[in-house]
Amino acid sequence: MNFDLVLCGVGGQGVLSTAYVVDHAAVEAGLHFKQPEVHGMAQRGGAVSAQVRLSDGPVSSDLISDGAAGAILSVEPMEGLRYLKQLRPDGWLVTDVTPLKNITEYPDLERLFHVLFSVPHVIAVDATKLAAKAGAMKAQNMVVLGAAARFLPVPLALLERHITALFQPKGERVVTANLKAFRMGVAASAFGAALVARGVPRPLVARALARLDFQPVEVDELVVKAWADRLAGVDGAAVAQRVFASRELLPVDVLTANTLN
Amino acid sequence: MDSEILLGDEAVARGAIDAGISAAYAYPGTPSTEIFESLQTYVKQQKLDVKGLWSTNEKVALEEAIGVSYCGKRSLVAMKHVGLNVAADPFMNVAVSGAWGGLVLAVADDPSMHSSQNEQDSRYFADFAQVPCFEPADQQEAYAMTLDAFALSEKLRVPVVLRLVTRLAHSRALVALGERSAQKPLRYVDDAGLYTLIPSNARRAYAGLVGKQAALADYAEQHASNALTIRGEQLPGLIVSGVAWNYLREALGPRLEDFNVLRVSVYPLPVKKVRALLDASSDVTFIEEGYPFIERFVSALGLLREKPLKGKLTGDVPRMGELSPDVVRRVFGLKVAPTLTIEGLDGVLAARPPRLCDACPHGDSYNLINEVLKELTPGMRVMGDIGCYALGYYRPYQAIHSCLCMGSSIGMALGAAHAGVSPSLCVIGDGTFTHSGMTALVDAVHEDLPVKVFILDNSIVAMTGGQPVSVSDEQVVDLVAGLGVKREHIRVVSPLPQKHAENLAVVREELAHPGLSVIVARRACVRYAKEIKEHKRERDAAHHHDGGCQDCTGSCR
Repeated sequence: MNFDLVLCGVGGQGVLSTAYVVDHAAVEAGLHFKQPEVHGMAQRGGAVSAQVRLSDGPVSSDLISDGAAGAILSVEPMEGLRYLKQLRPDGWLVTDVTPLKNITEYPDLERLFHVLFSVPHVIAVDATKLAAKAGAMKAQNMVVLGAAARFLPVPLALLERHITALFQPKGERVVTANLKAFRMGVAASAFGAALVARGVPRPLVARALARLDFQPVEVDELVVKAWADRLAGVDGAAVAQRVFASRELLPVDVLTANTLN
Repeated sequence: MDSEILLGDEAVARGAIDAGISAAYAYPGTPSTEIFESLQTYVKQQKLDVKGLWSTNEKVALEEAIGVSYCGKRSLVAMKHVGLNVAADPFMNVAVSGAWGGLVLAVADDPSMHSSQNEQDSRYFADFAQVPCFEPADQQEAYAMTLDAFALSEKLRVPVVLRLVTRLAHSRALVALGERSAQKPLRYVDDAGLYTLIPSNARRAYAGLVGKQAALADYAEQHASNALTIRGEQLPGLIVSGVAWNYLREALGPRLEDFNVLRVSVYPLPVKKVRALLDASSDVTFIEEGYPFIERFVSALGLLREKPLKGKLTGDVPRMGELSPDVVRRVFGLKVAPTLTIEGLDGVLAARPPRLCDACPHGDSYNLINEVLKELTPGMRVMGDIGCYALGYYRPYQAIHSCLCMGSSIGMALGAAHAGVSPSLCVIGDGTFTHSGMTALVDAVHEDLPVKVFILDNSIVAMTGGQPVSVSDEQVVDLVAGLGVKREHIRVVSPLPQKHAENLAVVREELAHPGLSVIVARRACVRYAKEIKEHKRERDAAHHHDGGCQDCTGSCR
């Protein structure tokens, strides 16, 4: 088993904290790993990335090859796209949908999202807003990690244990918020998978997921069914567009699914 | 045995501590910074008696480490590749004098120039000085070879270079750690003449260094990490070094079995093994990270024709930039993995270069400089230097027009003044000024031409993550005055938007002065406020309290 992972975002967005959690969980799961990262100039609001190489045998190269990553975890949508050539064609791009515009030449959002949603396997969640709701503005990285957790070859419980260990020095409140953020991501990702299993086309699932307000628990079966019915229905594409156009996060409930017009 | 997740840099630090060092010194520089940073943190955590500091520059750092070695104790000195240029004088000479206590230089190269101005390969420096060099391939080797390096240094009384590259320095893996050795006792050199390099002694000492070469060659020849594998007569051969070994294994996989392989990790080059590989192989390809160091020796610059040789000199391996598994695959004509093609992707990717932080004092300083530049000769150039403020090259400031090496701006501005530029402007950070800008200021004082030095004093070495500066606040002014700049032409301004007009008036006054001026733009870095306070507290606590120092947070008042 080999699993390569790209972690990316902008300086200060917690890319290296995510790497810490994955590294430690992998070691405890008995996996070998190597994990290169970018330091230095990038600290000043520049693009930051790390790679994690997981394997059940010794890992040779610190760097991953193009077309080799099983997943890209990004805390910023354009940054996620930046590393796309490292993704396996069947790999997943998991990203926060909220742009961080600290440059003047940030691309037009409509074009950016058009490209983002044409990636075959993409999970885009509003990690920024979900993290704020979880009680820690900076926990967007943990939402993204949660949303990607089902693709990683490490058990969820180990990821949670090392999230706890990482934030313990900052106090119980920070730990709780980060775990909550992580579980929101897990819920979002599972919801997306459930919709796909019920026949909703992937691009519609991706757009809808990006504007939904997930709780840190699994979405109820009845709710999944209601959303699947709407999104797989004749006006599914329009519904997905409408959800994505929402400025606020929409509740993931039956009422919203049924009343959205 | 304990295992810990460590960066390559951290593995070196832990190796040095476990080798029983008594002191460590460094000047920060990517990708080497985390060596001393992690060492210092670990020493504090474990309450170890290991001395050392962030030195004023790499030359001083090495000299401090040599001082420890000359007293029989082990010491580590860490720097980036270009830092070894600064430390080249003591380095070349300590090679001649020899070490007494184990002396190891951990030098981190930066192929691909992720955070550097060149790709220089420190193996050349080790060869130039005729000292051994270790080139670990992974974090575990970084730890183990640090231990080896100290043992070798002490055994043969030579300084040893440990060469890292960015991808090892800044990559984490699980490292198994061993036992810690006790520190060495204070033990004066037995033959002080060898450490006193006046010519009569230097000739004797140099004969000693030359005399050590056979033992060094023997050591490298027998080191297990210089592994020769001959799989068959006239199979193609490979010579691979350092981290390139990882890429090669990844790229070739089981195909590696079809090659004779010499893996090199310890220098001087194990020439007998090279000879054996050449003899056994139909041709040889060199895969090395950095310059074509081994290839130049073995191919005699391409003059050798006994076997076809392929590498960076022949254009078979890219001459610039770091290697990767894909680069190595292409060298051997192997397929690379397919990647996604997404229409319109390139159109939505904008570069996100590093930039000055919001409210950074350097931004206000550059606004000042740009304002006065408009009033001077069009196209005038401002000499820049190394630090966060090098980002002033970019938009929106575009206020500096050179960045060569640490501390160069003042000397270049003086040269520009000699070339006829008047006034001649330059900027330099407080850390870079004490690193190696001060000496040039002495020349500028001597000439007293209209050189206008802006010292951007933010009280910290920010670019590399917030290391302490050697002098701060009023000490900067006193230092500048002590070097001979007239007090009335040392002007301190506070680079803040609301003080722009006031500051502009000060700068204009100094531009009108026909001699040397130093404008200290003093405002603390916005990012490292906490660290700046902590550094001041540490500095104040460390000095001898005599009641005379102002603003002391220690017990002077």
